[in-house]
Amino acid sequence: MTRTRAASPRGFVTIGRAVAIPVARVSVVVAVVTVVLIVATAVATLSLGRLGIPVADLPGALTGGADGKQAFVLERLRGPRLVVAVGTGAALGLSGALFQTVTRNPLGSPDVIGLAAGAGAGAAVVALFLPGVLPVPAGALAGGAAAMALVYLSTGTGFRNPGRLIVAGIGVFSIATAFTQYVVYAVERDKAAVLTAYINGSLAARSWSHAVTIWVVLLVVVPLVALIAGRLRIGEMGDELAGVLGAGPRSTRAWAVTLSIVLSAGAVSVAGPVAFIALTAPQIAKRITGRPGPHLTLAALVGALLLALADLAAQQSPVPVNLPVGIYTLAVGGLYLGYLLTREWRKGSL
Amino acid sequence: MEKGKPLNTQVEPGGKGLAVRELTLSYGGAPIVREVSLDIPHGGFTMIIGPNGCGKSTLIKALARGLKPAGGRVLLHGRDLWAYRGKEAARHVALLPQNPIAPDGISVGDLVRRGRYPHHTLLRQWSPDDDVAIGFALDRTGLSDLAEAQVSELSGGQRQRAWIAMVLAQRTDLLLLDEPTTFLDIAHQYELLELCRELHHEGTTIVAVLHDLNQAARFASHLIVMRGGQAVAEGPPAEVLTPQLVEDVFGLACDIVPDPRTLTPMVVPHARRPANADPATA
Amino acid sequence: MAIGTPPRPSEAGAKRAGLARRSSFLLLGLVVLGLAVLASIAFGSHPTSLSEVVAVLNGTADSDITTVVESRYPRTALGLLAGLCLAVAGTLMQGVTRNPLADPGLLGITAGASAGIVTATAFLGATGQWAAVWWALAGALVAGVVVHVIGAVGSGSGLVRLVLAGAVVSAVLGAYVQAVALSKPQVFDSYRYWVVGALGGRDVGVLMSVLPAAAAGLVLAVLLSSGLNTLALGDESASALGANPALTRSGGLLAAVLLSTAATAAVGPIAFVGLAVPHMVRALVGIDFRVQIVFSAVIGPALLLLADVVGRLVLRPQELMVGVVTAFIGAPALLLAVRRMKGTS
Repeated sequence: MTRTRAASPRGFVTIGRAVAIPVARVSVVVAVVTVVLIVATAVATLSLGRLGIPVADLPGALTGGADGKQAFVLERLRGPRLVVAVGTGAALGLSGALFQTVTRNPLGSPDVIGLAAGAGAGAAVVALFLPGVLPVPAGALAGGAAAMALVYLSTGTGFRNPGRLIVAGIGVFSIATAFTQYVVYAVERDKAAVLTAYINGSLAARSWSHAVTIWVVLLVVVPLVALIAGRLRIGEMGDELAGVLGAGPRSTRAWAVTLSIVLSAGAVSVAGPVAFIALTAPQIAKRITGRPGPHLTLAALVGALLLALADLAAQQSPVPVNLPVGIYTLAVGGLYLGYLLTREWRKGSL
Repeated sequence: MEKGKPLNTQVEPGGKGLAVRELTLSYGGAPIVREVSLDIPHGGFTMIIGPNGCGKSTLIKALARGLKPAGGRVLLHGRDLWAYRGKEAARHVALLPQNPIAPDGISVGDLVRRGRYPHHTLLRQWSPDDDVAIGFALDRTGLSDLAEAQVSELSGGQRQRAWIAMVLAQRTDLLLLDEPTTFLDIAHQYELLELCRELHHEGTTIVAVLHDLNQAARFASHLIVMRGGQAVAEGPPAEVLTPQLVEDVFGLACDIVPDPRTLTPMVVPHARRPANADPATA
Repeated sequence: MAIGTPPRPSEAGAKRAGLARRSSFLLLGLVVLGLAVLASIAFGSHPTSLSEVVAVLNGTADSDITTVVESRYPRTALGLLAGLCLAVAGTLMQGVTRNPLADPGLLGITAGASAGIVTATAFLGATGQWAAVWWALAGALVAGVVVHVIGAVGSGSGLVRLVLAGAVVSAVLGAYVQAVALSKPQVFDSYRYWVVGALGGRDVGVLMSVLPAAAAGLVLAVLLSSGLNTLALGDESASALGANPALTRSGGLLAAVLLSTAATAAVGPIAFVGLAVPHMVRALVGIDFRVQIVFSAVIGPALLLLADVVGRLVLRPQELMVGVVTAFIGAPALLLAVRRMKGTS
């Protein structure tokens, strides 16, 4: 790496002389493995259980040869749900990676500054005061947007100053949570249970329109993220150095937070506030590779895998009650991050 | 009260290198630097000295586009520094701040490579020049064999050299260093200053904030003395550094004697005297 | 860049002035606390006049009024205890973790207490709304210790790990709590009442159950307070001053766990008292932990009781739980304070 070399630098992907993008080998390996696991999870999602399409029939079914029952499972029941799960997981993972990088907070995600809590409160308002007038997801999206607007206005510096962002976010988070808990307490039990399930995030009965929503969000946001990825890497070295290197740390941060919020809001609008993926996926990506950098791609892939796995668990769970997928993401993500932490602890590497 | 060259406040803009005109700097509150006008001699080795809180670190930050002026201008090659694009300015001026942050798990080579950022574009994040510049930077700082090592595992002296290598890899003709010797032992301090002197002799303009007056006098070709947000004296060390100036600026009674090795001025503080004692009686 | 501090000739005078300032603040705090206690006894969904309350306190009132007023004693006592515990725990946690936003939720205490309640009502046949306090206590203690073991044991830079460990434990327990609550309607009922955080509806038994944990935590906090002062200088300086940073930090966290566990088990999760009171106290009296703990112990209960009184009055004859009131008062105050924050990081 230190010697003068010809035009094929190690650790870069090049296209002619015009394009050279840094890609570390370990990241590529981890990314490939993650993608394989996502595919495996997808196959399991489609083929397990009473309604599952046998693995042998999958290629045929996917290429249009599905009969009536298989077509129903593929096109209505599990197909859209799977596509929504992968897209939502990727959006959440990327969202968390952006947020954690610019706030230097390992627990960062737009949920920390009240996005999910605002979405929950919005859902509660719709469920309690406007039943039937507005769909609950619309209420959730409006609530999340209102929460972010409140944070933006309260800081006085928009999304640029991470310290203010977090403190204002805690205020918005608390007030939204208290409101939701009060509503859950005050309404009758059945309504409260439905609301609580929704607030945990659910992938039950998703349609292709949900899938289109989240993938369009990804399609729009990912190129914008790619535009600021290099600046985010330089921003890791502190505002001062990033500023003198010409990486515009303050505007980069505002962009990153905004894109992170858009991704999370997209996820909320299709799946409700799914917990914990935005938080754990970047940490898991970082701890697997052990390398510096925002790990944006990897966090997105890990997020997609986590949510697909959690949804597989939710669908195939032996528990008689249909629990929302958010509960499984808490369990899966939490246990895995806990495993990584204790492993590090034994190695004494942190 | 200043000895040395009188303060030059009326230089014409348009020269080579860095200059500031009526520059006022603040972090949102009271100004830290007030209406300072200076020319940084191009091709020189300039050291900024002054007591704690005098604004020297703030000034050097503003020279590298790290802080936007609250008033006045910073000129780079005769053009307002803030009229450059960020990366463009960073191809001319490099600054090593006092407390840069090394990302977790980064290797020396990767850290140095980040200094190439101003030379990259969105799609072209590598160029053949990179390896030349990185090789040069590692070579000059003696870190070639440590390129694969983790920054977190380096000794304090090695880590500071890794940071110097990062700014060297920027390949700018102006190099700004904010208290680069602070965390180094005395041998490493001199090693680093010698490196700066070599770079200076090879044509790099160097500006450094330094606390040690004797080191400043020994290595600098030009001194800028600051106090209370103002530049109070500038010029060659032999003309600027006088007992009167040290007492006025630092409140320290001292003699100035020639350094036995280099004949540059050397500050010898008076023993056990209150700061306001008359130096003549010592 | 460090700003030099020239020696001030009037330092001794400033110290005396500071002492006088602190004493008057403390006196003021005690007066407010006294008024809060009185208000907590005097106001409620059943209106009682001040003279009636005074009569009850003198033992000269008729029995109906006496019953009404005396029914407010346990919740007032609980408010005192919970406010004290939460405020002192917050002070300890913010000091130990050097994280100005630390609160009991961070270390898994809330999740642990929830898990205890849910387990007790779902599987162990605990009946009655508040019979599960012991289980909440046990659950929160176990969660706090697990977080500490995963997070803080190990090398020096354990604070990030501690926070992550808290999130992990909270997440896993949260999944468990939600899963059980959504599967069993009775459990869901007791859980959703508990999780709002309220002082009403608890009896003296609840207070007595959590008192040992609270007392132990408070004693530990007082014993460690001077050690915590040295911790604020950084681990190396603390070691040089003869303190044992690791031990002090562990002890401080244990005290915080005990205190916030006691409060959470007794009255449910209550936002903002543990977060806001330490900030108010630091602004009033500076960074000496010994002084901070004393002031937290006065201001915390006063605020919680006042919030509870507000909750009793705004929706009369219904009540708004104190957990909702603290969030609805605390959050806007926080949002207004944000703009005055300094710095960029």
